[in-house]
Amino acid sequence: MPSSMSQQILLSPAELSYLHTSLSSSPPIRPDGRSSTQFRPLIAETDILPGTNGSARICFADGTEAIVGVKAEVEKSRARYTHADEDGEGIVEEDEGRGLNEWVELCVEIPGMRDDDSMPVFLAAMMSEALLADGEFTRRLYINRRFHWKLYLDILLLSQPSSYPLPLLSLTTHLALLLTKFPRLKSEKDEDPLFDDDWDASVFLYPRSSTKSFDRPPVTLLVMSVNGNIMFDPSKEELSVAEVVLAVSVGERSRSEEGDMVIDSGKTRDLRLLAVRTIDPPSRLTHPGVPNALNTATGGSAADTSEKASGQRETMAEGSVWQPPRGGAKRHQIAAMIQKVLEQGGVAEEVMAGLDGVDLG
Amino acid sequence: MPRELGPSLNERQFFLQALKEEVRIDSRGFGDFRAIQLDFGDEYGVSDVRIGKTRVLTNITAEVTTPFPDRPFDGPFTITTSLSAMASPSFSGPPSETEVLLARLLEKTLRRSGALDTESLCLIAGRAVFSIRADVHVLSHDGNLTDAACLGVVAALRHFRRGDSEVKGEDVKVFTMAEREGVALSLLHYPLCVTFSFYEGEVVLVDATLSEEQMREGSCTIGMNKHGEVCQIAKLGGAPVDAVILLSCSNLALRHVERMSKVMEERLLEDAKRRYKGGIKAEPSSENARVP
Amino acid sequence: MPLDTSSYSLALLRLDGRRWNELRRITAQISTMPSADGSSYLEMGNTKVLCTVTGPCEGGGTRDRDRADIRVELAIAGFSGVDRKRVGRGDKRVSEMVSTIQSTFASTLFTNLYPQSTIHISLHVLSQDGSLLAALLNASTLALIDAGIPMRDYITASTAGSTSSYSSNDESADPLLDLNTSEEQELPFLTVATLGGSDQVSVLVMETRVQAGRLEGMLAVGVDGCKQVREILDDVVREHGKEVLKSGRL
Repeated sequence: MPSSMSQQILLSPAELSYLHTSLSSSPPIRPDGRSSTQFRPLIAETDILPGTNGSARICFADGTEAIVGVKAEVEKSRARYTHADEDGEGIVEEDEGRGLNEWVELCVEIPGMRDDDSMPVFLAAMMSEALLADGEFTRRLYINRRFHWKLYLDILLLSQPSSYPLPLLSLTTHLALLLTKFPRLKSEKDEDPLFDDDWDASVFLYPRSSTKSFDRPPVTLLVMSVNGNIMFDPSKEELSVAEVVLAVSVGERSRSEEGDMVIDSGKTRDLRLLAVRTIDPPSRLTHPGVPNALNTATGGSAADTSEKASGQRETMAEGSVWQPPRGGAKRHQIAAMIQKVLEQGGVAEEVMAGLDGVDLG
Repeated sequence: MPRELGPSLNERQFFLQALKEEVRIDSRGFGDFRAIQLDFGDEYGVSDVRIGKTRVLTNITAEVTTPFPDRPFDGPFTITTSLSAMASPSFSGPPSETEVLLARLLEKTLRRSGALDTESLCLIAGRAVFSIRADVHVLSHDGNLTDAACLGVVAALRHFRRGDSEVKGEDVKVFTMAEREGVALSLLHYPLCVTFSFYEGEVVLVDATLSEEQMREGSCTIGMNKHGEVCQIAKLGGAPVDAVILLSCSNLALRHVERMSKVMEERLLEDAKRRYKGGIKAEPSSENARVP
Repeated sequence: MPLDTSSYSLALLRLDGRRWNELRRITAQISTMPSADGSSYLEMGNTKVLCTVTGPCEGGGTRDRDRADIRVELAIAGFSGVDRKRVGRGDKRVSEMVSTIQSTFASTLFTNLYPQSTIHISLHVLSQDGSLLAALLNASTLALIDAGIPMRDYITASTAGSTSSYSSNDESADPLLDLNTSEEQELPFLTVATLGGSDQVSVLVMETRVQAGRLEGMLAVGVDGCKQVREILDDVVREHGKEVLKSGRL
C-alpha cells in the first residue's frame, strides 16, 4: 500500500504560508469553511457484526473508515495474594471488584503497516491509556474472585490514514464499547461462571438509562492551535501548519445523586479529563520558504554555510515566509486548549451529545 | 537478492513452437517423468531424491518433548524446508513465495491428510511424546521441487527408525539403536504429489524442468495415495484450465503415484536387505570384527 | 464435535435448512468506500469481506516490465472467528491465499495495459463462516470492476463438498454446494473459481482427503455454483450502474 504517500505533505512553502495566515486570523478561516469548533460530518453504523460482543463502523467525510470489534472471553484470574493474614479481612474486601490492566488487549491495525510499526503501537498505547486511566473500566470486567472477562479490542483502519486517525479510531471504539454486551451471569459468588444463553437478557458493559446521563467510555479528541487560535478536528492540510497538537481524552461519569451534586449543579454532564498527550505535528517536517534576503534571484545573497543560513533564519522577522514551527508549546496555551474542551457547553459536551444521537440499536 | 533469470524470448518461442509440434525440449513425452533416483543414507531417516537434475535431501529426527496442551495425545510433526542459495542464487534472502508455497503444500499433503499417525507417538498423555521433525534441504533446483520433496519426506519417514522406549510409571527411557532395534513410524498411507504444468490452455506437461516452469501459464499439484484417494489439490490461480482437463489430470496423477510408490517400495526393500546381516550373525559375538 | 450427518439422509436438508445445491444468501455492494479507486463489501452467509482496490498507480513492474504488478494484502480481523484469534501476516495459510488471489487476477486482468504500475488489492475479513477464499475472490472481482480495471471476465468462486467422509465408502454420498464452517470442519470440500461462469477453472484448492471418484461430482457442483454466483454478482454490478446513471454522477 502506498502508505508513505499519504503521510507526505504535498504543499509548497507558499501554500503553507497562505494556510497559516488564514488560520491565524481571527476568527480563523479554515480551508473547508468550518468554524473552529465544528467537526466534519461522519457516518456511524453500530452492531454490524453479529459475531462480536460489540462492533461499530465510522466513516469520516474525507473517506477514512474504521471498524472496531470487541470480543470477550471468560478467563481465570491469577490468584492474588493479599496481605490479609495479619490485618484480617479488611484488605480483601478492598480488593473485591478491582480489575487489572492486563484484562484488556487493544490492537490497532493500519493497512500497509506492520504490527510493530511506531504508528499503530503509539495509537494503541494512547487509546489504552485513556481507557485504563482511572481503573473504572477494568472494574467492569470483574466476574468474581476467580474469573473475569478478558476483553479484546481490535481496531481496524480500513483506508489509508489521510489525517491523523486517532479521533476516528477513538470515536469508533467508543461506540463499539457502548454497545458491548455480555451474557447475563446466572451463577452466584465465586462459583464457576454460568451464563444465561438468552442473548436478549444480556447486559451492557456500560449500562445506560434513558433519563439521566450514564457512564461512558472515553473519547479522545484532537485539538490544534495556530497562533493562539484553537481548532478542533483538524484536517490533514491544517495539521501541516499546526503549532501545537494535543490529544485530549475525556470520560463521562454518571451523575451521582448526592454529594458533589451541589458543586456542579449547573452542569449537565460530569466530564473528566483522563489523559493529555502532545503529538508531534507534521508541520515540523515541512520545508521552509526562502526569504528574499537569502534568494539570489531577488537580489539577496545565499548564505555560504548552512550555519550562517540557519543563523539568518533565526533572526528573521515572523510572517515573511513559511517557517516550520520551532520549540514546544506554552503552558497557558495547553491550558487554554484543555479548557476549551472541558468547559461547560464546550466541545466535549457537544461531542457527547452528538454521540447520543447515534442510534444504539 | 539476485533476480531469477528467465528464458529469453527466442527460447520461449522455440519451446512453444516445439510444444505445438508435440515435442518437449528433452524429448520426453508430455506425461513422462524424468528418471527418479531414490537413495537412503547410512543413518535411518535420511533420503536423497533425484529427479533429473533436481535433488532433495530429507532428514527425519525424533526427540521426546511435552505435547501441546490442547492435544495431549498427539506428537508434533513439523516439516521445515530450506531453499538455500546452493540450489539457486535467487533463493538467498528471506523466504520466497516458492518456499512458503512448498512448505504449505507438503504440510497439506502429509499433515492434514493424516499420513503420520501422531497418536502412536504418545508416551505419557500430556507429559511426553515423540516429536518428529522433517528437514527438507533442496540441494539443486531444476523444477518440480514439490514432487521431489514429497517423495523424499514420505520415503524418509518410512525409512526412519526411532529409538525404542519403555515407560515405567512416570519415567520414560528411550533406548539407543545399540541397545535395542529401532521402531518404525506408523504411517497410515503414503501420499505423493504430482505437479502438472499448463501451456496455451490445453497442453499439459508432467514433471516440468526449471525453464519449463518459468514459461508455464499455470500449474496444479495433486496429492494422492496409491489407493486412489486425493489428499490435496492446489491450483493456485494462473491461467484458467477446463474442468475436464483437471479431472483427467487426477487420473494421470494416480498412475504416476502408483509408479512412484513402486520405486519407493523396491528401494526400501533393497535398503532393508543391505542392512540385514542375517539372523544368527547379527547376534553379538566376542570376536573382534576388525581382525580377519 | 462430530457433525450430525444422519439427519441429512432423512430429509435431505442440511443443518441450516438448505438443500444440497443451494447457495447461502449472497449480498454485495460496490463503491462502499469513496476514498478508494474501487471497493466492495460482500456477504456469503455469515462470511463478510471488505475489499478496496487502489491503482493502477505509478511504480512497479519489478516482475515484468511490460505488465502491472498486483499486490494483495489480506488482513483477517481478530474478532472474525468464533474465538478471538490473531492471524499474523506471516501465516502460511494467509500467504497462500494472498498468492492465489494475486496469481488469479494476474492472468485475468489486462495488466499489459498498465506497464510499470501497481494495482493494490486490500482485503479485510470481518467475519468468517466457511468459503473464505471464495468470498475473497468474489469481493476482489467486484472491487476491480468498480475500479474500472479491464479484465477478461468475472472470476467467481464457490465451495463444494461431499456428504461422506473419506473413510466411509457409501455410494449414496451427495455433493454439497457452499459450505459453512461446521460443514468445512467435518466434510471433504474444495474451493473452485471459474472465469465468467464457463467451465474454465482458474483456482481449485482442496485440502481434505476424498475418494478420487467423488471428485467429478464435487467439481461439477462447484462449477455450477460459480455460474450462479456470477449471475448474482452481475446483478449487483448492473444495479449499481443503473443507480450511478440515475443519480447523474457521470
